[in-house]
Amino acid sequence: MNWKNYQNELIVLFAFLVMFSGYIYKTNTIENEAISAIESQKTLLDMKEVIALKNLWTDKKTSQRVKQLQSIVPISKVNWSNKRKKIKASYRGLSARELNSLITKILNLPVEITLLDIQDISKSYSVEFQCKW
Amino acid sequence: MGKDRELILVYSSMDSVRDMRDINVMVTPQFYTLKKEALPVKYAYQAKRVAPAIFDGLLEDSSEYEYMVFKDGDDDEWTLIAYNLNKIRSFLLSKGFVIDTISKLFFAQQVVDMFDRPVAIGDSEALVSLEGSVVVVPSVALSEDEKPSKIFDDSFTPKRGVGIKNASANSIISTKQSIIFSVIFIAFAIMFFVEGARYGSSSQAELKIAELYEAYPSLESSYTRDSIIKKYKSIDKIERRKRDIIKKISIMIFDGVSLASLNINLNGFKANIICKDAKVSKRVKALSLKEGFKTIQIANSNDMLIEGSL
Repeated sequence: MNWKNYQNELIVLFAFLVMFSGYIYKTNTIENEAISAIESQKTLLDMKEVIALKNLWTDKKTSQRVKQLQSIVPISKVNWSNKRKKIKASYRGLSARELNSLITKILNLPVEITLLDIQDISKSYSVEFQCKW
Repeated sequence: MGKDRELILVYSSMDSVRDMRDINVMVTPQFYTLKKEALPVKYAYQAKRVAPAIFDGLLEDSSEYEYMVFKDGDDDEWTLIAYNLNKIRSFLLSKGFVIDTISKLFFAQQVVDMFDRPVAIGDSEALVSLEGSVVVVPSVALSEDEKPSKIFDDSFTPKRGVGIKNASANSIISTKQSIIFSVIFIAFAIMFFVEGARYGSSSQAELKIAELYEAYPSLESSYTRDSIIKKYKSIDKIERRKRDIIKKISIMIFDGVSLASLNINLNGFKANIICKDAKVSKRVKALSLKEGFKTIQIANSNDMLIEGSL
């Protein structure tokens, strides 16, 4: 078989193969890019979540903010114990308003509540609060 | 490629040949039309472009002709040869040549100087150079001292020839079509490669990740990330749940309702709610059930006990 007889077809075939390989290259690149974009997006979301969680639950200012629970009501109503990032606090004779401010403050602190016990004793409230961070 | 092959002189009265392979051929003026013109052009391609106009009126169907141009000397005079390749091919085929085995086609005019002495073509004709042109003359017209004496051989092979093989003879597509298709395909190929290369560049997410890695090198390890997530996600989930329960219980404390006690510990919660009448009690119960809490009405009273796990 004399290939030179078909040189036109061979040239066109070669050009077509170049085009086809270009198309395969493009398609593969797009597919890989899509997979990589999904993976990157997932990693990015993971990292953002990790950073947000770490920043929230290992905030160095938490200790200072927790101390405010001691002064939020008159000192005579508080029995306070603070040991190594653990708080045990007892509040006695709180008015409804004082109870509300205390609970609002507690809810906004990034601490692990181990105990919150509220008792209504003759229209005044007593609170047992334990937490760690 | 040209000179290492046998050169065959082709003339109209020649006999048929057999087993002629891997050869070059040189045609006599019987197969081409010659013109010499002084043209104000510098390059051969420019002369070739004006060649059809120079031969205008001299050729039967000028569209079937192709042209070879070259310069003899240093002056502006160009030698222009018009030839019909299809006719030459047909003639060669009729004489038994196999076109595919012919490498190059030459014209006698290309080696005009070699014909200073007549070269016999057949019994009655000869090729000879007359005033710078190779012409066919009857042998009888030559004087005794001009009788053909020179032997035609490979030394007559010029440097430049014309490809005679008809590449597209067996082709489905013509040379022109193949060029058009190839150009289109290659253009698409370039487009695809460029597009592919563009997609391959870094995405916004990857750039952002690189920035975060720089700020938090320890997070580069997925093991570290998983460990942090595992540790803090459960804390986050439980603590959000505790705060959510307190908010939901507080919503249940409205006019006619008071909180007797609320206890939240690591296992769950328990709330004792005092309701002033059955209507209020019913409303509290509805709210509690809506939140999915376990709700118990204390016997012989309107008070409610609400409890649940974290």
